Amino acid sequence: MSDLIVVDGVDKRYATSSGPVDALRGVSLGVGAGEFCTLIGPSGCGKSTLLGMLGGLVTPDAGRVLVDGRPVNGPDPRRAATVFQEAGLFPWRTTVENIEFGLELQGVARERRRIVATELLGPLGLRDFAGKYPRELSGGMRQRVAIGRALAIDTPIVLMDEPFGALDEQTRLLMGEWLLDIWRRTRKTVVFVTHSLQEALALSTRVIVMTARPGRIKSVVELPLPYPRAMESAELVALRAKLWSEIREESLRAMGEV
Amino acid sequence: MSVALIRVVIVAVALGAWEVFGRLGNPLLYVPPSAALPALGRLLTLQSYPELGEHLLLTLREIAVAYALAIAAGIGVGAALGLNRVVGRTYGPILAALYAVPAVVWYPSLMLFFGLDAASKIAFGFLLGFFPIALAVLAGIRQVNAQLVIVARAFGASGITVFRKVMLPAMLFTLVGGLRTGLALTVIGVIVGEVLGAKAGMGSLINHAYGLFRTADYVALVVVTLLLIVASDAVAGVVEQRARRWTE
Repeated sequence: MSDLIVVDGVDKRYATSSGPVDALRGVSLGVGAGEFCTLIGPSGCGKSTLLGMLGGLVTPDAGRVLVDGRPVNGPDPRRAATVFQEAGLFPWRTTVENIEFGLELQGVARERRRIVATELLGPLGLRDFAGKYPRELSGGMRQRVAIGRALAIDTPIVLMDEPFGALDEQTRLLMGEWLLDIWRRTRKTVVFVTHSLQEALALSTRVIVMTARPGRIKSVVELPLPYPRAMESAELVALRAKLWSEIREESLRAMGEV
Repeated sequence: MSVALIRVVIVAVALGAWEVFGRLGNPLLYVPPSAALPALGRLLTLQSYPELGEHLLLTLREIAVAYALAIAAGIGVGAALGLNRVVGRTYGPILAALYAVPAVVWYPSLMLFFGLDAASKIAFGFLLGFFPIALAVLAGIRQVNAQLVIVARAFGASGITVFRKVMLPAMLFTLVGGLRTGLALTVIGVIVGEVLGAKAGMGSLINHAYGLFRTADYVALVVVTLLLIVASDAVAGVVEQRARRWTE
């Protein structure tokens, strides 16, 4: 089976003031087209570093990352779009202008990009906020604008680095439902970083648990369950217990290091 | 009482006091408004200095050239220091220290290098205007949210595009503030340069009138020069307001 994304034995080490830190060691994984693949693990386990490699923002020290069979050498906005934890919206741009950003960089004509951005406003639930600036939007709305900016360039892959991490619990659950709906309609390949067990179980087709630093892959849990998922079902309760025991172990190790 | 009325009263009281004390003093050194106003009239009707227009034009041209050079060098140097951390750490403090030196100490050597003509005035105006612009660009780049730069890179922006689409708008307000200060200092530099030693320009006329004890003409020339400075700052102020509205 040929995966859309292939990570092959990557290492990453960062130099810090207190000596080198191993962020990732010998990580290999494959993500098939159309999957919703979630990376979960304790803080500092290298999830974001791994996601950065997929997006071409981080260069591995060893190993390689392939998308569609070709190596990733730097960001490629035709293959993958990224959504960051901090929405990272441009404060001098309105909602539509922020959504248009990627298209603007690709040289798409003004009228054309306005059409694409305006069409996205409906599914994003931002129809009445097209001309608003980021400071006039709530946290959830800002994150939806950031997701819209990623969807606008219509890449086969969307990388999401804890996109709902800064939101309150209720907003987070609603955003999860909303994202699921978008994903099922667009059939994009999503790689999603989170440290919320709930989020991982509700959204993913597959969960990859990472170890405490240095980040390795501890286990892979397939979730071939229909959507929307009843979190109280016996199957999910059992999976939740299994995932939690693995993550707990790594989180304890991560805490012990501190 | 409205603000406008208060302002009128303040100006009237000041002019009245000036009139009274001006009449009390030596007429060679003290000029009351009743004498300065006719002198201003004679100046503007080209009776006292027929070649006023040429001098004014020369001063404006010196300011324009000095300011254009200050903007180009200020943005260039500021960007070089801001975008490269090592260069910035090395030269940033030197730049700030040089800015603190009273610039007039450089003027004698500028006259030696560039002579008594326009070049030394342009050089002095440039020297004064350059520092606030370079330091504003440096500060502006440092305050750009690093996250926004990462976002732009993730969407495929090149170095130039990041500067144009992210850094420039993010630091616009700081930049425009620096440009405004830079303009004010360039104008001061050029005029001070002319007063200290020149054959032409508003500053040289001021020096001429002052040296010949033509005090009323001197006052009239100062008034015209002040109007020039106030007008240039007013234009810069409008631009700054626009930038503020756009950035927020």
